[in-house]
Amino acid sequence: METFDAVIVGSGACGGWAAMELARSGFRVALVEAGSSVNPAHDFHHRWPYELPFHGQGQPGLLRKRYRGSTEFNYRLMIDDIENPYTTPDGMPFRWSRSRVLGGRTLHWGRVSDRMSDLEFHAASRDGYGDDWPVSYRDVAPYYSRVERFIGVSARAENLPQFPDGDFLPAMPLNCAETIFSAACGKLGFPVTQRRVAQLTRMLNNRPPCHYCGNCINGCDVGAMFSTVSSTLPEALRTGRVTLMCDTVVSAILMNAENRARGVRFIGRYNKQEGEIGARTVILAASSLENTRLMLNSQRGGLANSSGVLGHYLMDQVSGAGVSGFLPALKGAAIRNDDGKSSGLYIPNFINLGKQKETFIRGYAMSASGGAAQFPRFAVNHAGYGSSYKREIKRLYPAFARVWMSGGEMLARRENFVEIDPEVKDAWGIPVLRIHATHSDNDKRLYAHFHERAREVFHAAGGEELDAKAAMAPPGSLIHEVGTCRMGADPKTSVLNSYCQTHDVANLFVFGGGCFVSTGDKHPTLTMMALAARGCDFLTDKARKGEL
Amino acid sequence: MEVDENRESDSMTRRDAAWMIARALATPAGLALASGWPGAAQNAGGGAMRHSNAPPERDRWKDYRPKFFTIAQFGALRMFTQVLIPTDETPGAREAHVPEFIDFVLNAAAEYAPEMQPQWQKAADYLDSVGFAGMNAANQEALVAEMAAPETDPNKTHAGFPFYRLMKEMTVRAYYTSRAGLVENLGYQGYAYLTEFPGCNHPEHHKV
Ligand SMILES: Cc1cc2nc3c(=O)[nH]c(=O)nc-3n(C[C@H](O)[C@H](O)[C@H](O)COP(=O)(O)OP(=O)(O)OC[C@H]3O[C@@H](n4cnc5c(N)ncnc54)[C@H](O)[C@@H]3O)c2cc1C
Ligand code: SF4
Repeated sequence: METFDAVIVGSGACGGWAAMELARSGFRVALVEAGSSVNPAHDFHHRWPYELPFHGQGQPGLLRKRYRGSTEFNYRLMIDDIENPYTTPDGMPFRWSRSRVLGGRTLHWGRVSDRMSDLEFHAASRDGYGDDWPVSYRDVAPYYSRVERFIGVSARAENLPQFPDGDFLPAMPLNCAETIFSAACGKLGFPVTQRRVAQLTRMLNNRPPCHYCGNCINGCDVGAMFSTVSSTLPEALRTGRVTLMCDTVVSAILMNAENRARGVRFIGRYNKQEGEIGARTVILAASSLENTRLMLNSQRGGLANSSGVLGHYLMDQVSGAGVSGFLPALKGAAIRNDDGKSSGLYIPNFINLGKQKETFIRGYAMSASGGAAQFPRFAVNHAGYGSSYKREIKRLYPAFARVWMSGGEMLARRENFVEIDPEVKDAWGIPVLRIHATHSDNDKRLYAHFHERAREVFHAAGGEELDAKAAMAPPGSLIHEVGTCRMGADPKTSVLNSYCQTHDVANLFVFGGGCFVSTGDKHPTLTMMALAARGCDFLTDKARKGEL
Repeated sequence: MEVDENRESDSMTRRDAAWMIARALATPAGLALASGWPGAAQNAGGGAMRHSNAPPERDRWKDYRPKFFTIAQFGALRMFTQVLIPTDETPGAREAHVPEFIDFVLNAAAEYAPEMQPQWQKAADYLDSVGFAGMNAANQEALVAEMAAPETDPNKTHAGFPFYRLMKEMTVRAYYTSRAGLVENLGYQGYAYLTEFPGCNHPEHHKV
């Protein structure tokens, strides 16, 4: 059997990056992906709702029962919930949105790419809650730059300490609703900028610029948005050193007698046949919680878990729909391509930056946008019918707008955790996760504070509220699930060191959000990728010196 | 206040044009349908027709035979949805094939959502029980107005209100996701091929 220099489990944001970096450094890499292969040029194109049998809503019941959180446009990119169950205790919902496909969730993610700041990395030192990260902004900054320069992030530099600037492509202009919200924030004295998106505004690394079709969430046909398949994978494969194995479900990490990882065990997705892949280094990049599941399934009590914290400190970010309604200034306006960049306005956190002033710790960011989105979803509940109704819907169509929670810090708490369910197994017989997560009082106070500010922004923009009752969403809803494999300087209280290497097993690395010590208020993926890039530098350096 | 008059030529890439021609050739009946509706192109307003990458509707509803509803029930549904979304200066439920779509969806519900079907049977029975299909247009209008009254006046009740809501909800979803509703009525501008994002160019939007 061939022994690879590295086996990488999962081809999402982090797995794709690791494959590219390690292969460029001369590693012979096996990139193992549980899902099927996709070809964007062939599989993704703009489809209008009426071109689909069910106009985008899917066969009744299918999405709700089998592909939660997806639409008829994109459910083939999502995981099949029946084949891949997970469990939660009664009354403790957790929404876990996963993809099993080449490229993972990068194929249809929101693309928002933020840098975290030292206010987050060192939050514990400021307010006394929890732990600091074992890295500072200074350590991560060069890797943020490296990732940004490769994936392409369209953004405006703002020079805000809580929201560090990066190596940006030109920003996209704001649409009308965003312009109005921007003025409203100016009036309130709230900071405001364009959402920073991994979407090209000019050619980069052979990828064409965005053509403003707004189809990102269903997969970009030309590769203008960052995804593994458009960006890192072609570079990885170009080296000739990467063996890509799709439809290959990894079930466990294999160990030898010297406490070293020697590869992984897998099960064929369709033929269900078992096999092994031998490697000198094992890199888990199957997403935050799948990585932890693999480690928990690989050894009784969990592999690399001498600290006992593996599985603990599960977090998502606090989220909720916020406020929606109409901007009077836009009623009856000419219809424009308002959702063509599918982005929005970003209101960076401005809470608890200096002295602790609020009744809760940490902060949150808001987003706002509006205009003619494809389906006028307010129409369903708008009273009336007939010609007057039709005219009113058309008049309101470009005026629909909302302010929502982009991400609020959910406190890291040990009692939020994942474990292996003693009974339930997936379609390949692999034990599944049981997820325990609740919001703390701090999380709830933070959300209530956000809701008030969201209404302020909405009202300052002149907005007429349609729905402002929107409650806090259950954990997992923001799809920013992190933690359960935290990093730290002390092997007694953490699983990973600051390079995402397990304290216990020198040749086992874990890339993804599992390492997060706190959520911060930023979108997490750019940080996951930057930490993976940093881990790859460390790994190649150690391997060269023979110290792994 | 419309901008970007050049947008169409900017955005029409060769690939796109070729794709549209291929689609048009493949669906002659769909084309005939779109253009067969009188005045759609002229009346769409909001620049809908001036810039649209929207392909013609597929020919899926030609000779459609209801599978879930009986012919009589389907006839009543047709009339009801036409009162909800009438054909006026823009296409209505009829041109959007709303009744056909509803029947298609309900038939397909048998597999994963059979619980949807009984309520629609009750709605069809209700329309039958009040003789909706046999009424003249004025009486149909009057009945729908009564059924809908609780929507705007919480003090009112009507036995037909739940059926009105049921049918309205799916009619609205079907209509605004159809070509007639989304493109010809609303003038949705998405799925474009543009070189620049058409940002806001209204000085008045920079002040609140
Ligand atoms: C709709 C949506 C919008 C989002 N928007 C944003 C955003 O705007 N900004 C942001 O920062 N984040 C966003 N996210 C989150 C973001 O997608 C994830 O944080 C990111 O993709 C995580 O990267 P990853 O490499 O850890 O895992 P993933 O991208 O999830 O990839 C994991 C891969 O591992 C594979 N895999 C899993 N288990 C196994 C196994 N046992 N064997 C083999 N392979 C396996 C999976 O098939 C998958 O391909 C969004 C997510 C979704 C779903
Ligand atoms: S809007 Fe831009 S990035 Fe998104 S799918 Fe279209 S071309 Fe790709």
